[in-house]
Amino acid sequence: MDTVVQSLLNGALMGCVYALITLGLSLIFGVMNVVNFAHGDFVMLSMYFAFFIGSMWGVDAVFTPAITFPLLFIVGVVAYYAIIDGTLRQKYVTQIAVTVGLMTFLRAITQLMWKAQPRALPYSLIQGSIHIAGYNIMLSRLISAVVSILAIGGVSLFLSKTWPGRAIRAASDDLDAASLVGVNYRWTYALAFGLGSALTAIAGGLLMTFQQVDPTMGVRFGLLSWCVLALAGLGSIPGLLISGIIVGAAESLSMALWDPRARSLIVYLIFILVLWVRPRGLFGRK
Amino acid sequence: MSSKPILQVSNLTKRFGNLVAVNNVTLQIHEGEIVGLIGPNGAGKTTFFNTITGLYTPDEGRVIFKGEDITGVPPHKICKLGMSRTFQVTKAFTEMTVEETVRVGAYNRHGEDDVMEKVDEVISFCGLEEIRHQKCGDLGLASLRRVELARAMATEPDLLLLDEAGAGLTAAELAELMEILRQLNKEQSVTLCVVEHVMQMVMGLCERIFVLDAGELIAEGTPEEISNNPRVIEAYLGERAIR
Repeated sequence: MDTVVQSLLNGALMGCVYALITLGLSLIFGVMNVVNFAHGDFVMLSMYFAFFIGSMWGVDAVFTPAITFPLLFIVGVVAYYAIIDGTLRQKYVTQIAVTVGLMTFLRAITQLMWKAQPRALPYSLIQGSIHIAGYNIMLSRLISAVVSILAIGGVSLFLSKTWPGRAIRAASDDLDAASLVGVNYRWTYALAFGLGSALTAIAGGLLMTFQQVDPTMGVRFGLLSWCVLALAGLGSIPGLLISGIIVGAAESLSMALWDPRARSLIVYLIFILVLWVRPRGLFGRK
Repeated sequence: MSSKPILQVSNLTKRFGNLVAVNNVTLQIHEGEIVGLIGPNGAGKTTFFNTITGLYTPDEGRVIFKGEDITGVPPHKICKLGMSRTFQVTKAFTEMTVEETVRVGAYNRHGEDDVMEKVDEVISFCGLEEIRHQKCGDLGLASLRRVELARAMATEPDLLLLDEAGAGLTAAELAELMEILRQLNKEQSVTLCVVEHVMQMVMGLCERIFVLDAGELIAEGTPEEISNNPRVIEAYLGERAIR
Protein backbone atom coordinates (compact mmCIF):
# COMPACT_ATOMS: atom_id res chain seq x y z
CA MET A 1 0.00 0.00 0.00
CA ASP A 2 2.81 2.35 0.88
CA THR A 3 4.43 1.85 -2.49
CA VAL A 4 1.15 2.62 -4.21
CA VAL A 5 0.65 5.91 -2.40
CA GLN A 6 4.30 6.81 -2.72
CA SER A 7 4.37 6.23 -6.46
CA LEU A 8 1.00 7.97 -6.89
CA LEU A 9 2.48 11.00 -5.17
CA ASN A 10 5.62 10.96 -7.30
CA GLY A 11 3.62 10.47 -10.45
CA ALA A 12 1.14 13.20 -9.63
CA LEU A 13 3.94 15.70 -9.07
CA MET A 14 5.54 14.73 -12.36
CA GLY A 15 2.12 14.98 -13.96
CA CYS A 16 1.99 18.69 -13.19
CA VAL A 17 5.09 19.17 -15.33
CA TYR A 18 3.47 17.09 -18.08
CA ALA A 19 0.45 19.36 -17.87
CA LEU A 20 2.67 22.42 -18.33
CA ILE A 21 4.29 20.87 -21.41
CA THR A 22 0.87 19.94 -22.77
CA LEU A 23 -0.45 23.45 -22.24
CA GLY A 24 2.09 24.64 -24.81
CA LEU A 25 1.02 21.94 -27.23
CA SER A 26 -2.64 22.69 -26.69
CA LEU A 27 -2.11 26.42 -27.35
CA ILE A 28 -0.54 25.61 -30.68
CA PHE A 29 -3.03 22.94 -31.66
CA GLY A 30 -6.07 24.74 -30.30
CA VAL A 31 -5.33 28.04 -31.99
CA MET A 32 -3.95 27.12 -35.37
CA ASN A 33 -4.90 23.47 -35.70
CA VAL A 34 -1.30 22.51 -36.34
CA VAL A 35 -0.30 19.07 -35.14
CA ASN A 36 3.15 19.91 -33.83
CA PHE A 37 5.23 16.74 -33.68
CA ALA A 38 8.27 18.74 -32.70
CA HIS A 39 6.78 19.90 -29.40
CA GLY A 40 8.56 17.23 -27.35
CA ASP A 41 11.81 18.18 -29.01
CA PHE A 42 11.35 21.75 -27.86
CA VAL A 43 11.28 20.28 -24.34
CA MET A 44 14.47 18.38 -25.14
CA LEU A 45 16.04 21.52 -26.60
CA SER A 46 15.07 23.49 -23.49
CA MET A 47 16.69 20.86 -21.31
CA TYR A 48 19.91 21.10 -23.32
CA PHE A 49 19.84 24.88 -23.13
CA ALA A 50 19.39 24.57 -19.37
CA PHE A 51 22.28 22.12 -19.28
CA PHE A 52 24.44 24.41 -21.40
CA ILE A 53 23.73 27.52 -19.36
CA GLY A 54 24.03 25.56 -16.12
CA SER A 55 27.38 24.02 -16.98
CA MET A 56 28.85 27.11 -18.64
CA TRP A 57 27.97 29.73 -16.09
CA GLY A 58 27.10 27.62 -13.11
CA VAL A 59 23.51 28.83 -13.10
CA ASP A 60 21.19 26.57 -11.19
CA ALA A 61 18.75 24.70 -13.44
CA VAL A 62 15.68 26.20 -11.73
CA PHE A 63 16.79 29.69 -12.74
CA THR A 64 17.64 28.90 -16.36
CA PRO A 65 14.10 29.66 -17.62
CA ALA A 66 14.91 33.33 -17.00
CA ILE A 67 17.13 33.00 -20.07
CA THR A 68 15.59 30.03 -21.89
CA PHE A 69 11.99 31.29 -21.73
CA PRO A 70 12.62 34.32 -23.96
CA LEU A 71 15.04 32.25 -26.02
CA LEU A 72 12.50 29.52 -26.73
CA PHE A 73 9.87 32.18 -27.41
CA ILE A 74 12.10 33.54 -30.16
CA VAL A 75 12.86 30.03 -31.44
CA GLY A 76 9.12 29.37 -31.60
CA VAL A 77 8.30 32.62 -33.40
CA VAL A 78 11.12 32.08 -35.89
CA ALA A 79 10.03 28.48 -36.46
CA TYR A 80 6.48 29.72 -37.05
CA TYR A 81 7.39 32.32 -39.66
CA ALA A 82 10.08 30.16 -41.28
CA ILE A 83 8.21 26.91 -41.73
CA ILE A 84 4.72 26.74 -40.23
CA ASP A 85 3.20 29.89 -41.74
CA GLY A 86 3.61 28.63 -45.29
CA THR A 87 1.89 25.31 -44.57
CA LEU A 88 -1.30 26.65 -42.97
CA ARG A 89 -3.31 26.44 -46.15
CA GLN A 90 -1.73 23.18 -47.25
CA LYS A 91 -2.91 19.65 -46.58
CA TYR A 92 -2.51 18.09 -43.15
CA VAL A 93 0.16 15.78 -44.55
CA THR A 94 2.33 18.76 -45.41
CA GLN A 95 2.07 20.12 -41.89
CA ILE A 96 2.90 16.74 -40.40
CA ALA A 97 5.89 16.38 -42.73
CA VAL A 98 7.11 19.85 -41.77
CA THR A 99 6.82 19.39 -38.00
CA VAL A 100 8.32 15.89 -38.18
CA GLY A 101 11.13 17.46 -40.19
CA LEU A 102 11.60 20.11 -37.51
CA MET A 103 11.69 17.34 -34.90
CA THR A 104 14.43 15.47 -36.77
CA PHE A 105 16.31 18.70 -37.33
CA LEU A 106 16.27 19.63 -33.64
CA ARG A 107 17.43 16.16 -32.67
CA ALA A 108 20.27 16.19 -35.20
CA ILE A 109 21.41 19.62 -34.02
CA THR A 110 21.48 18.59 -30.37
CA GLN A 111 23.32 15.38 -31.23
CA LEU A 112 25.93 17.37 -33.11
CA MET A 113 26.40 19.86 -30.31
CA TRP A 114 26.23 17.68 -27.24
CA LYS A 115 26.85 14.16 -28.62
CA ALA A 116 24.48 11.29 -27.95
CA GLN A 117 25.30 10.47 -24.35
CA PRO A 118 22.97 11.63 -21.58
CA ARG A 119 23.86 14.90 -19.92
CA ALA A 120 22.96 16.07 -16.45
CA LEU A 121 23.75 19.02 -14.23
CA PRO A 122 25.78 18.11 -11.16
CA TYR A 123 23.32 19.33 -8.54
CA SER A 124 20.59 21.78 -7.95
CA LEU A 125 19.89 24.16 -5.11
CA ILE A 126 16.69 22.32 -4.57
CA GLN A 127 17.63 18.85 -3.46
CA GLY A 128 16.87 16.41 -0.71
CA SER A 129 13.39 15.47 0.30
CA ILE A 130 10.78 16.08 2.90
CA HIS A 131 8.81 13.51 4.83
CA ILE A 132 5.10 13.81 5.27
CA ALA A 133 3.15 11.10 7.09
CA GLY A 134 5.80 8.54 6.37
CA TYR A 135 6.05 9.34 2.69
CA ASN A 136 9.13 10.63 1.04
CA ILE A 137 8.74 13.58 -1.32
CA MET A 138 11.64 14.77 -3.42
CA LEU A 139 11.90 18.51 -3.02
CA SER A 140 12.89 19.04 -6.65
CA ARG A 141 9.74 17.32 -7.84
CA LEU A 142 7.56 19.15 -5.37
CA ILE A 143 8.93 22.51 -6.44
CA SER A 144 8.65 21.54 -10.10
CA ALA A 145 4.99 20.72 -9.59
CA VAL A 146 4.32 23.96 -7.74
CA VAL A 147 6.12 26.07 -10.35
CA SER A 148 4.27 24.23 -13.13
CA ILE A 149 0.92 24.92 -11.53
CA LEU A 150 1.85 28.58 -11.06
CA ALA A 151 2.94 28.83 -14.69
CA ILE A 152 -0.29 27.20 -15.85
CA GLY A 153 -2.23 29.67 -13.72
CA GLY A 154 -0.24 32.51 -15.22
CA VAL A 155 -1.00 31.45 -18.77
CA SER A 156 -4.63 31.03 -17.84
CA LEU A 157 -4.74 34.60 -16.57
CA PHE A 158 -2.92 35.83 -19.66
CA LEU A 159 -5.49 34.15 -21.90
CA SER A 160 -8.51 35.39 -20.00
CA LYS A 161 -7.47 38.87 -18.95
CA THR A 162 -5.22 40.44 -21.56
CA TRP A 163 -5.74 41.75 -25.04
CA PRO A 164 -3.32 39.33 -26.76
CA GLY A 165 -4.81 36.46 -24.74
CA ARG A 166 -8.31 37.36 -25.89
CA ALA A 167 -7.06 37.63 -29.46
CA ILE A 168 -5.63 34.12 -29.21
CA ARG A 169 -8.90 32.76 -27.86
CA ALA A 170 -10.98 34.58 -30.45
CA ALA A 171 -8.80 33.32 -33.29
CA SER A 172 -9.00 29.78 -31.97
CA ASP A 173 -12.78 30.04 -31.75
CA ASP A 174 -13.45 31.48 -35.20
CA LEU A 175 -10.56 32.68 -37.31
CA ASP A 176 -12.61 34.47 -40.00
CA ALA A 177 -14.73 36.33 -37.52
CA ALA A 178 -11.68 37.28 -35.48
CA SER A 179 -9.80 38.69 -38.46
CA LEU A 180 -12.82 40.67 -39.59
CA VAL A 181 -12.98 42.45 -36.26
CA GLY A 182 -9.33 43.38 -36.47
CA VAL A 183 -7.37 40.41 -35.10
CA ASN A 184 -4.18 39.86 -37.09
CA TYR A 185 -4.06 36.09 -37.48
CA ARG A 186 -0.38 35.69 -38.39
CA TRP A 187 0.63 37.75 -35.42
CA THR A 188 -1.68 35.77 -33.15
CA TYR A 189 -0.40 32.48 -34.50
CA ALA A 190 3.23 33.51 -34.08
CA LEU A 191 2.46 34.58 -30.52
CA ALA A 192 0.74 31.26 -29.73
CA PHE A 193 3.58 29.27 -31.26
CA GLY A 194 6.18 31.33 -29.42
CA LEU A 195 4.36 31.08 -26.11
CA GLY A 196 3.68 27.37 -26.57
CA SER A 197 7.37 26.79 -27.20
CA ALA A 198 8.48 29.08 -24.39
CA LEU A 199 6.45 27.07 -21.88
CA THR A 200 8.70 24.10 -22.59
CA ALA A 201 11.59 26.24 -21.31
CA ILE A 202 10.06 26.33 -17.84
CA ALA A 203 9.43 22.58 -17.97
CA GLY A 204 12.94 21.95 -19.29
CA GLY A 205 14.59 23.92 -16.49
CA LEU A 206 12.52 22.11 -13.87
CA LEU A 207 13.19 18.68 -15.35
CA MET A 208 16.93 19.32 -15.32
CA THR A 209 16.86 19.64 -11.54
CA PHE A 210 16.29 15.90 -11.21
CA GLN A 211 16.72 14.35 -14.63
CA GLN A 212 19.29 13.89 -17.33
CA VAL A 213 18.74 14.72 -20.98
CA ASP A 214 19.57 12.87 -24.19
CA PRO A 215 18.61 13.62 -27.80
CA THR A 216 15.92 10.92 -28.00
CA MET A 217 13.89 12.35 -25.12
CA GLY A 218 11.85 14.56 -27.40
CA VAL A 219 9.72 11.70 -28.69
CA ARG A 220 8.85 10.60 -25.17
CA PHE A 221 7.70 14.04 -24.08
CA GLY A 222 6.04 14.70 -27.41
CA LEU A 223 3.90 11.61 -27.37
CA LEU A 224 3.27 11.94 -23.66
CA SER A 225 1.90 15.42 -24.16
CA TRP A 226 -0.37 14.19 -26.95
CA CYS A 227 -1.72 11.58 -24.51
CA VAL A 228 -2.42 14.22 -21.89
CA LEU A 229 -4.08 16.46 -24.47
CA ALA A 230 -6.25 13.63 -25.79
CA LEU A 231 -7.29 12.73 -22.25
CA ALA A 232 -8.10 16.34 -21.33
CA GLY A 233 -9.65 17.50 -24.59
CA LEU A 234 -9.37 21.03 -25.92
CA GLY A 235 -10.44 24.13 -24.08
CA SER A 236 -10.12 23.38 -20.36
CA ILE A 237 -6.96 24.40 -18.52
CA PRO A 238 -7.92 22.80 -15.16
CA GLY A 239 -8.80 19.68 -17.15
CA LEU A 240 -5.31 19.72 -18.57
CA LEU A 241 -3.82 19.73 -15.10
CA ILE A 242 -6.00 16.85 -13.92
CA SER A 243 -5.19 14.82 -17.02
CA GLY A 244 -1.49 15.47 -16.59
CA ILE A 245 -1.73 14.19 -13.03
CA ILE A 246 -3.68 11.10 -14.14
CA VAL A 247 -1.11 10.27 -16.81
CA GLY A 248 1.81 10.91 -14.44
CA ALA A 249 0.27 8.79 -11.73
CA ALA A 250 -0.59 5.96 -14.13
CA GLU A 251 2.93 5.98 -15.47
CA SER A 252 4.47 5.91 -12.04
CA LEU A 253 2.09 3.23 -10.73
CA SER A 254 2.81 0.88 -13.60
CA MET A 255 6.53 1.33 -13.00
CA ALA A 256 6.22 0.58 -9.29
CA LEU A 257 3.77 -2.29 -9.43
CA TRP A 258 4.60 -3.96 -12.68
CA ASP A 259 7.75 -3.20 -14.58
CA PRO A 260 9.66 0.06 -15.23
CA ARG A 261 9.57 -0.78 -18.91
CA ALA A 262 5.75 -0.91 -18.84
CA ARG A 263 5.26 2.79 -18.26
CA SER A 264 4.75 3.77 -21.87
CA LEU A 265 2.51 0.78 -22.40
CA ILE A 266 0.02 1.92 -19.77
CA VAL A 267 0.12 5.52 -20.95
CA TYR A 268 -0.64 4.59 -24.54
CA LEU A 269 -3.31 2.19 -23.43
CA ILE A 270 -5.03 5.18 -21.82
CA PHE A 271 -4.46 7.14 -25.04
CA ILE A 272 -6.10 4.49 -27.20
CA LEU A 273 -8.96 3.98 -24.74
CA VAL A 274 -9.74 7.69 -24.69
CA LEU A 275 -9.70 7.99 -28.47
CA TRP A 276 -11.97 4.99 -28.64
CA VAL A 277 -14.46 5.66 -25.85
CA ARG A 278 -14.46 9.45 -25.53
CA PRO A 279 -12.73 11.16 -28.45
CA ARG A 280 -13.40 14.68 -27.18
CA GLY A 281 -11.53 13.90 -23.97
CA LEU A 282 -12.67 14.12 -20.36
CA PHE A 283 -13.05 17.89 -20.25
CA GLY A 284 -13.17 18.90 -23.92
CA ARG A 285 -15.73 21.26 -25.40
CA LYS A 286 -18.46 19.82 -27.62
CA MET B 1 -26.42 63.21 -48.30
CA SER B 2 -22.92 63.58 -49.59
CA SER B 3 -22.25 61.67 -52.76
CA LYS B 4 -18.64 60.89 -52.01
CA PRO B 5 -18.03 57.20 -52.71
CA ILE B 6 -16.87 55.15 -49.71
CA LEU B 7 -16.56 51.89 -51.61
CA GLN B 8 -15.84 51.49 -55.30
CA VAL B 9 -15.87 47.99 -56.73
CA SER B 10 -14.79 47.64 -60.33
CA ASN B 11 -14.98 44.55 -62.53
CA LEU B 12 -14.80 42.23 -59.56
CA THR B 13 -14.61 38.55 -60.50
CA LYS B 14 -14.22 35.52 -58.26
CA ARG B 15 -14.08 32.00 -59.63
CA PHE B 16 -14.12 28.63 -57.91
CA GLY B 17 -12.85 26.20 -60.53
CA ASN B 18 -15.32 26.51 -63.40
CA LEU B 19 -17.94 28.29 -61.35
CA VAL B 20 -17.92 32.05 -61.69
CA ALA B 21 -19.39 33.05 -58.34
CA VAL B 22 -18.99 36.79 -58.86
CA ASN B 23 -18.85 37.92 -62.47
CA ASN B 24 -17.50 41.33 -63.45
CA VAL B 25 -19.39 43.30 -60.82
CA THR B 26 -18.98 47.07 -60.75
CA LEU B 27 -20.75 49.18 -58.15
CA GLN B 28 -20.34 52.16 -55.87
CA ILE B 29 -21.55 52.82 -52.36
CA HIS B 30 -21.66 56.42 -51.15
CA GLU B 31 -20.92 57.75 -47.69
CA GLY B 32 -23.90 57.68 -45.36
CA GLU B 33 -26.09 55.46 -47.54
CA ILE B 34 -27.99 52.35 -46.65
CA VAL B 35 -27.83 50.06 -49.65
CA GLY B 36 -29.20 46.59 -50.14
CA LEU B 37 -27.76 43.67 -52.05
CA ILE B 38 -30.34 41.11 -53.03
CA GLY B 39 -30.55 38.12 -55.30
CA PRO B 40 -31.81 34.55 -55.40
CA ASN B 41 -29.99 31.78 -53.53
CA GLY B 42 -26.56 31.14 -54.94
CA ALA B 43 -26.41 34.50 -56.68
CA GLY B 44 -23.00 35.19 -55.17
CA LYS B 45 -23.94 37.68 -52.47
CA THR B 46 -21.92 36.10 -49.69
CA THR B 47 -18.97 35.48 -52.01
CA PHE B 48 -19.14 39.15 -52.97
CA PHE B 49 -18.92 40.08 -49.27
CA ASN B 50 -16.09 37.65 -48.66
CA THR B 51 -14.15 39.06 -51.58
CA ILE B 52 -14.58 42.67 -50.49
CA THR B 53 -13.64 42.02 -46.87
CA GLY B 54 -10.45 40.15 -47.73
CA LEU B 55 -11.47 36.60 -46.86
CA TYR B 56 -11.12 35.73 -50.56
CA THR B 57 -8.71 37.26 -53.02
CA PRO B 58 -10.52 38.30 -56.21
CA ASP B 59 -9.37 36.82 -59.51
CA GLU B 60 -9.99 40.08 -61.33
CA GLY B 61 -11.08 43.59 -60.53
CA ARG B 62 -10.33 46.09 -57.84
CA VAL B 63 -11.83 47.19 -54.56
CA ILE B 64 -11.26 50.79 -53.49
CA PHE B 65 -12.25 51.71 -49.94
CA LYS B 66 -12.09 55.36 -48.91
CA GLY B 67 -9.79 56.04 -51.83
CA GLU B 68 -7.41 53.24 -50.90
CA ASP B 69 -6.91 50.10 -52.97
CA ILE B 70 -7.71 47.18 -50.65
CA THR B 71 -7.68 44.41 -53.26
CA GLY B 72 -6.01 41.40 -51.64
CA VAL B 73 -5.40 43.17 -48.32
CA PRO B 74 -5.90 40.85 -45.29
CA PRO B 75 -9.17 41.19 -43.30
CA HIS B 76 -7.71 42.65 -40.11
CA LYS B 77 -6.14 45.53 -42.04
CA ILE B 78 -9.40 46.20 -43.85
CA CYS B 79 -11.08 46.24 -40.47
CA LYS B 80 -8.54 48.80 -39.23
CA LEU B 81 -9.31 50.95 -42.25
CA GLY B 82 -12.94 50.97 -41.20
CA MET B 83 -14.89 48.13 -42.75
CA SER B 84 -16.48 45.32 -40.76
CA ARG B 85 -19.23 42.79 -41.25
CA THR B 86 -21.53 40.19 -39.76
CA PHE B 87 -22.07 36.66 -41.00
CA GLN B 88 -25.01 34.79 -42.46
CA VAL B 89 -24.18 31.75 -40.36
CA THR B 90 -23.40 33.38 -37.04
CA LYS B 91 -19.77 33.20 -36.04
CA ALA B 92 -19.82 34.35 -32.45
CA PHE B 93 -16.99 33.30 -30.16
CA THR B 94 -18.80 30.39 -28.48
CA GLU B 95 -16.47 30.13 -25.49
CA MET B 96 -16.60 33.82 -24.64
CA THR B 97 -19.19 35.91 -22.88
CA VAL B 98 -21.10 38.57 -24.80
CA GLU B 99 -19.05 41.25 -23.10
CA GLU B 100 -15.73 39.65 -24.04
CA THR B 101 -16.84 39.10 -27.62
CA VAL B 102 -17.69 42.77 -28.00
CA ARG B 103 -14.42 43.62 -26.27
CA VAL B 104 -12.39 41.74 -28.89
CA GLY B 105 -13.97 43.99 -31.50
CA ALA B 106 -13.44 47.12 -29.42
CA TYR B 107 -9.69 46.46 -29.21
CA ASN B 108 -9.59 47.40 -32.88
CA ARG B 109 -9.47 51.08 -31.96
CA HIS B 110 -9.05 51.10 -28.18
CA GLY B 111 -6.34 50.15 -25.73
CA GLU B 112 -6.84 48.44 -22.39
CA ASP B 113 -7.45 51.78 -20.61
CA ASP B 114 -10.55 52.88 -22.49
CA VAL B 115 -11.80 49.69 -24.10
CA MET B 116 -14.56 49.11 -21.55
CA GLU B 117 -16.16 52.48 -22.25
CA LYS B 118 -16.65 51.42 -25.85
CA VAL B 119 -17.89 47.99 -24.78
CA ASP B 120 -20.47 49.53 -22.44
CA GLU B 121 -21.60 51.97 -25.08
CA VAL B 122 -22.11 49.30 -27.75
CA ILE B 123 -23.74 46.86 -25.36
CA SER B 124 -26.30 49.43 -24.30
CA PHE B 125 -26.82 50.61 -27.89
CA CYS B 126 -27.65 47.06 -28.99
CA GLY B 127 -29.70 46.30 -25.87
CA LEU B 128 -27.47 43.48 -24.67
CA GLU B 129 -27.23 44.47 -20.98
CA GLU B 130 -29.29 41.55 -19.75
CA ILE B 131 -27.16 38.92 -21.45
CA ARG B 132 -23.76 40.58 -21.25
CA HIS B 133 -22.33 37.92 -18.93
CA GLN B 134 -23.76 34.92 -20.76
CA LYS B 135 -21.64 32.70 -22.97
CA CYS B 136 -22.29 33.18 -26.68
CA GLY B 137 -22.52 29.41 -27.09
CA ASP B 138 -25.66 29.42 -24.95
CA LEU B 139 -27.54 32.13 -26.87
CA GLY B 140 -30.41 31.85 -29.30
CA LEU B 141 -30.26 33.04 -32.90
CA ALA B 142 -31.81 36.47 -32.38
CA SER B 143 -29.38 37.30 -29.57
CA LEU B 144 -26.43 35.91 -31.51
CA ARG B 145 -27.18 38.15 -34.48
CA ARG B 146 -27.28 41.12 -32.17
CA VAL B 147 -23.99 40.11 -30.54
CA GLU B 148 -22.39 39.88 -33.98
CA LEU B 149 -23.71 43.29 -34.84
CA ALA B 150 -22.36 44.64 -31.56
CA ARG B 151 -18.96 43.07 -32.14
CA ALA B 152 -18.76 44.58 -35.62
CA MET B 153 -19.95 47.96 -34.33
CA ALA B 154 -17.34 47.91 -31.59
CA THR B 155 -14.61 48.04 -34.24
CA GLU B 156 -16.04 51.48 -35.16
CA PRO B 157 -16.47 50.90 -38.86
CA ASP B 158 -17.36 53.55 -41.42
CA LEU B 159 -18.86 50.86 -43.61
CA LEU B 160 -20.69 47.93 -42.09
CA LEU B 161 -21.69 44.92 -44.19
CA LEU B 162 -24.56 42.83 -42.85
CA ASP B 163 -24.98 39.35 -44.25
CA GLU B 164 -28.59 38.23 -43.80
CA ALA B 165 -28.89 39.88 -40.42
CA GLY B 166 -32.67 39.49 -40.52
CA ALA B 167 -32.85 35.81 -41.45
CA GLY B 168 -34.73 33.67 -38.96
CA LEU B 169 -35.96 36.59 -36.88
CA THR B 170 -39.58 37.16 -35.85
CA ALA B 171 -41.39 40.27 -37.06
CA ALA B 172 -40.86 41.99 -33.70
CA GLU B 173 -37.17 41.14 -33.59
CA LEU B 174 -36.82 42.34 -37.16
CA ALA B 175 -38.43 45.67 -36.35
CA GLU B 176 -36.04 46.16 -33.42
CA LEU B 177 -33.05 45.29 -35.57
CA MET B 178 -34.12 47.75 -38.27
CA GLU B 179 -34.49 50.45 -35.63
CA ILE B 180 -30.96 49.79 -34.36
CA LEU B 181 -29.61 49.94 -37.90
CA ARG B 182 -31.41 53.19 -38.69
CA GLN B 183 -30.04 54.77 -35.53
CA LEU B 184 -26.57 53.53 -36.34
CA ASN B 185 -26.80 55.08 -39.76
CA LYS B 186 -28.23 58.39 -38.61
CA GLU B 187 -26.50 59.03 -35.29
CA GLN B 188 -23.10 57.53 -35.97
CA SER B 189 -23.17 58.04 -39.74
CA VAL B 190 -22.15 54.49 -40.51
CA THR B 191 -22.68 53.48 -44.12
CA LEU B 192 -24.58 50.20 -44.30
CA CYS B 193 -24.72 47.51 -46.93
CA VAL B 194 -27.20 44.75 -46.21
CA VAL B 195 -27.43 41.43 -47.98
CA GLU B 196 -30.92 40.27 -47.35
CA HIS B 197 -33.56 37.74 -48.22
CA VAL B 198 -36.17 39.36 -46.04
CA MET B 199 -37.75 41.81 -48.51
CA GLN B 200 -39.57 43.67 -45.77
CA MET B 201 -36.21 44.67 -44.35
CA VAL B 202 -34.57 45.61 -47.64
CA MET B 203 -37.51 47.62 -48.90
CA GLY B 204 -38.05 49.32 -45.56
CA LEU B 205 -34.45 50.20 -44.90
CA CYS B 206 -32.53 50.74 -48.11
CA GLU B 207 -32.28 53.82 -50.27
CA ARG B 208 -30.68 51.96 -53.15
CA ILE B 209 -30.66 48.30 -54.06
CA PHE B 210 -28.31 46.18 -56.13
CA VAL B 211 -29.51 42.90 -57.57
CA LEU B 212 -27.16 40.00 -58.21
CA ASP B 213 -28.13 36.96 -60.22
CA ALA B 214 -25.77 34.10 -61.08
CA GLY B 215 -22.82 36.27 -60.08
CA GLU B 216 -23.78 39.23 -62.27
CA LEU B 217 -25.14 42.60 -61.30
CA ILE B 218 -28.47 42.74 -63.18
CA ALA B 219 -30.12 45.81 -61.72
CA GLU B 220 -29.57 48.82 -59.52
CA GLY B 221 -32.01 51.43 -58.27
CA THR B 222 -34.48 52.59 -55.65
CA PRO B 223 -36.76 50.00 -54.01
CA GLU B 224 -39.66 50.99 -56.35
CA GLU B 225 -37.53 50.77 -59.46
CA ILE B 226 -36.23 47.39 -58.39
CA SER B 227 -39.62 45.92 -57.58
CA ASN B 228 -40.87 46.92 -61.06
CA ASN B 229 -37.77 45.81 -62.94
CA PRO B 230 -38.67 42.91 -65.29
CA ARG B 231 -35.18 41.36 -65.10
CA VAL B 232 -35.39 41.23 -61.33
CA ILE B 233 -38.83 39.67 -61.39
CA GLU B 234 -37.55 37.16 -63.89
CA ALA B 235 -34.54 36.27 -61.77
CA TYR B 236 -36.71 35.78 -58.70
CA LEU B 237 -39.83 34.21 -60.11
CA GLY B 238 -38.84 32.78 -63.46
CA GLU B 239 -39.60 33.93 -66.99
CA ARG B 240 -43.32 33.20 -67.03
CA ALA B 241 -44.10 35.62 -64.26
CA ILE B 242 -43.47 38.59 -66.54
CA ARG B 243 -46.20 37.87 -69.03
